[in-house]
Amino acid sequence: MSALLRSLRDGRGFDAALASLALAYLFVFSAFPLIYNIAMSFQEVDMFSLGDLIRPFVGLANYRTLFAAPEFWSIMANTAIFVILCIVFQLAIGFGLALFFQQDFFGASYLRGLFLAAWIIPALVAGAIWKWVFAGDFGVLNYLLISSGLIDDKIFWLSTPAISLYSVIIANVWLGIPFNMILLSVGLAGIPKDMYEAAALDGAGPWGRFWHMTLPMMRSTIGAVVCLGIIFTLQQFDLFASLTQGGPANSSNVAQYWSWQLSFQNYDIATGSAVSVLMLGFVIVVAFLYVRSTRQEYRA
Amino acid sequence: MANFAKYWLGAAGVLALTAAASAEPVELNVWTIDRQADPGYNYVMADEFMKLHPDIKINIKRVEFADWANDVMRAVATGTTPDVAYVDNPNTPFLSAKGALLDLTPYIAESEIVDTSKIFPGPLSTVTWDGKIYGLPRGSNTIALYYNADMFKAAGLDPDKPPQTWQELYETAKKLTDPAKNVYGLAFSANSNEEGTFQFLPWAQSTGADFDHIADDGAVRALEVWQKIIDEKLASPDTLIRGQYDSMATFNAQNAAMGISGPWELPRMSKDAKFDYRVALLPIEKQGDTRASALGEGNNVIFAKSQHPKEAFMYLEYMYSQMPRVWNEFGFVPSYPVEAKDPKWPAQYAVFAESMKYARARGPSPDWAKISKAISTAIQQALTHQADAKTALTTAQSTIDGIVKK
Repeated sequence: MSALLRSLRDGRGFDAALASLALAYLFVFSAFPLIYNIAMSFQEVDMFSLGDLIRPFVGLANYRTLFAAPEFWSIMANTAIFVILCIVFQLAIGFGLALFFQQDFFGASYLRGLFLAAWIIPALVAGAIWKWVFAGDFGVLNYLLISSGLIDDKIFWLSTPAISLYSVIIANVWLGIPFNMILLSVGLAGIPKDMYEAAALDGAGPWGRFWHMTLPMMRSTIGAVVCLGIIFTLQQFDLFASLTQGGPANSSNVAQYWSWQLSFQNYDIATGSAVSVLMLGFVIVVAFLYVRSTRQEYRA
Repeated sequence: MANFAKYWLGAAGVLALTAAASAEPVELNVWTIDRQADPGYNYVMADEFMKLHPDIKINIKRVEFADWANDVMRAVATGTTPDVAYVDNPNTPFLSAKGALLDLTPYIAESEIVDTSKIFPGPLSTVTWDGKIYGLPRGSNTIALYYNADMFKAAGLDPDKPPQTWQELYETAKKLTDPAKNVYGLAFSANSNEEGTFQFLPWAQSTGADFDHIADDGAVRALEVWQKIIDEKLASPDTLIRGQYDSMATFNAQNAAMGISGPWELPRMSKDAKFDYRVALLPIEKQGDTRASALGEGNNVIFAKSQHPKEAFMYLEYMYSQMPRVWNEFGFVPSYPVEAKDPKWPAQYAVFAESMKYARARGPSPDWAKISKAISTAIQQALTHQADAKTALTTAQSTIDGIVKK
């Protein structure tokens, strides 16, 4: 007994106790909901069997319904466009800003801090603001474009099927830039300054230093930022809810919003779960890449 | 002898009353979407009811309208349903068909207050399932055509002759549209959720179509009128992503000359709209067609698992008996004909009260949410020209057939 207590206080037992706490937490709050979600996607679920674990098993029927839905492929394509464009622009602009604020000028660090304000704003509030910006009849953006003579007719940013998705992308890029910038700034700060001085003495120009030193040194940071960015982008729900609700005619609908619509607007929880299982599979791949890119960091 | 019997009966009655009074006070849990400060319908009703019945205590829990389905689902799944709840009318069959609600038919048979034969057919059909009654309407609402009489006069139109038919509506909207002044002829909602369906369905229903034969020619013609209105920019393209309340804000701001919406607009309109606003019945395709209008608001129901069905029904009866006040105090249109004394906005009230006679339920179907989605999807496809009206509605019909015949 005393040996057990001693082991718990100081020794293997203590380690095991700590690890099991973390594992229990992970199981209850992460693993269980995920498994529950996967199970639901193979069952017939309605609101009256929501609390049961044992429900009629329907095999792949929910997935078949999903793939047969006329909007399935367009929503998947929208999701891909959304993720890719958001990541590309968030990363490019965030990287540019990070490099800019890396320069030594008056107030650089304060200004960089100010950029975080956008990151602090809840996405729902950001959505309300962008709705004002994008509004067709009385929007800020249309006013600016028309009064500066760039366009003659109002553009209906949110209600034109060919444009609506890109409007949401613009809002989301804006929302994601500060986060990218801060993470990349941290990576940049980790590159020793004397390396640049040495390279400059050896005659490397600014472009050369960027291509041959900054980028390779930043590889693992960029990898991590991209992976996190994909996950955050796939989580983006509030902007869709506040800007377009996936409309008009699903032209700006993406998987995460569709899954919610199916589950909580159509009460078709099983099919909604099937969508989120597809997304889960994709995120697991990304998370795996993320873990690998950060593992290299520890080795270095 | 007769007096003697009366005496004993009276004594027994007194005894029964004291027994009831000394028993544990009954607690009823009530869920509502009302806000306490609004003034919330259920809060007012519960206060008055508790004064009449000191032995019954009512606990009200407020649920956000958007979270309603979520919370009720959880409650049904975990067996923690309240005794009484408010249910939006298209969602009522969803609950009654699954046996989640108490069958009120035997209670109504003995009730001296409730007479279901008086209830308007629209609201009555939402609480009826399989010949049984599962709830009582607390009040209703419906939609009609608001118009800016000052703009009518300015455009040389007779403000006493609002458009009666679709063609007249289209022509009037065209006359009143003035892009230079940022004025659209009409404001309505064709967004991708329930509101789009809610606004479109009466157009289809007045031609004889309905959700279970939504691809009928009449419905197709209705959708083509909507298409024409959007294509010619007689209504803002943002109609596709705006709900009714946001759309009507443009009417109040005089950026739209007409607007289709319900009586819930009146409190805000009476503050914001600085012009002569009037209401007319929703236009129909041609004179002589059957009228139809949307049916909103909802029902008070008792959950099947309630421990106090008798007291819960007394509360439902009380709320039902207060129908003559609902317009003035809560902005609902009465669900059965009542003598409304001194109604607020009398002219508008008269139109909405008449419109109630034509109000048709959405469904009723336990799968209304899915049916509604199919219809709003068709509307949006047609209005964005991803499909023509006929094709879009035929697709919707086959989706709905799959849902209904399951």
